[in-house]
Amino acid sequence: MNGSVPGADHRAERGPVLRKGVGIPGSGWFDPRGRALGGFAFSANRVTGLGLVFYLYLHLGVLSMLLFGEPTWNDFIRLATSWVFLSLDVLLILGILYHGLNGIRVALVGSGLVADRQRALWWSLGTVGTIALIGAALHIFGSK
Amino acid sequence: MATTISGVALLLLLGVHMFANHFVVRSVGGLRSYRQVLEYMRHPAIFTIESLFLLVVTVHAMLGLRGVVLDVDPSRRAQRWIDVGLTVLGVLTLAYGYFLIGTLASRA
Amino acid sequence: MSAADTGGRRTYRVYRYKRGEPGWRFDMFDVPLTRTVLDGLRWIQLHLDRTLAIRHSCMHASCGTCGVQVNGREALACVTPADDLGATITVEPLANIPVLTDLVVDMREFVARFPDEIPSLRAAEQLPEATPLEGIDAYDRFEDCIECGLCLSACPVSATSDAYVGPAALAAAQRLLEEPRGADTDRVLEWADAPFAGWRCHAAFECTAACPSDVRPAERIMALRGRLGGRGATS
Repeated sequence: MNGSVPGADHRAERGPVLRKGVGIPGSGWFDPRGRALGGFAFSANRVTGLGLVFYLYLHLGVLSMLLFGEPTWNDFIRLATSWVFLSLDVLLILGILYHGLNGIRVALVGSGLVADRQRALWWSLGTVGTIALIGAALHIFGSK
Repeated sequence: MATTISGVALLLLLGVHMFANHFVVRSVGGLRSYRQVLEYMRHPAIFTIESLFLLVVTVHAMLGLRGVVLDVDPSRRAQRWIDVGLTVLGVLTLAYGYFLIGTLASRA
Repeated sequence: MSAADTGGRRTYRVYRYKRGEPGWRFDMFDVPLTRTVLDGLRWIQLHLDRTLAIRHSCMHASCGTCGVQVNGREALACVTPADDLGATITVEPLANIPVLTDLVVDMREFVARFPDEIPSLRAAEQLPEATPLEGIDAYDRFEDCIECGLCLSACPVSATSDAYVGPAALAAAQRLLEEPRGADTDRVLEWADAPFAGWRCHAAFECTAACPSDVRPAERIMALRGRLGGRGATS
């Protein structure tokens, strides 16, 4: 036997590593394909978190209009009470409710206290959040 | 741990903030007019809560961003720069936020 | 027709990689419907392409060697029915572990992530109505973890960093704390109390969803964190 097994010369090389994701390094968490409930919850938590960070700076920018006095702010309020903006407010509340309630779930589960109830927590807190969101939406749209 | 603690604090502080700014004033969307904002910021308790809210939300946001960025597996050196960058961003956010709060409170 | 062939056909889309050849590809195979995905892969090996490299042993989900991704989800091929996976079945090697060839990954990199001590035995459960044999006070059995690597493949954090020790290693550490059997528990806790160990998990629970052996690694990691938190974690 002369030992020339196909590929033997390349035995020391590290082979390719399959990664879930969208082709960008570090995007594995974002890919919902093949995920169970917990993975989806984690991805959604991150998406809402990033959305809320964006909103934080948008909000600081908007509040800066207060520095320019009453007419400028009141002009903005007129814009902010349009149906489009009110819908965005409801979307904001959805993001806050999801991120906050899932955060409670992660804190409870992560402490080791109720780790085996993570699915039940997702559904129960999700129900609470849905009811709160419907109430908030009715209040906001109802005020128009 | 800090993310969890700031998150728990946010539940209360954000709850107060959202309720006060969307569900108290009788207007479309519960949004406050210019004078209503100044009147709102005049109260010492509100001033304190909003100041604390700004601090906690900024800390939570920076920690959250750090968690997401760490997942691109940066080198140790890059990680140090990321930490410095997020700290600077957090400090600037707080500085501007407190400038806003202070200015509005002084106009009240 | 063998016992494994039950009529109907499927298209297998199989990941291929050979050392020394440029890159990787997917090969398509027309296969009669078999009972399990592993049966289908073995049929391909026997009838269509003898160069297809697959790994398997026990054929009943107790050795963990046939772990692959089937249609994007981690599975043990030997117990994954082939009849409800659609007309095209995509089979890939496990993620987050380097591929040696075709569907075979280098499990050395998986095993290397474990702490120095790995639990192998645990106290066996006993039914209340069972009568132990005279002279025997208790029974031991093997640990649930069959070291298949499905959890590491499913973990979204492992998808971003090879430095993360992964769910199997952390679950093993927690098992050592639950039943030390002479292990140095302080050392285990110190090993776990690190940025790329116990504190890197984001509680996605994909590992528990993928585990074929009821190890529940995510729950174990959360319990481990509870212990680390109580210890006054430094990370």
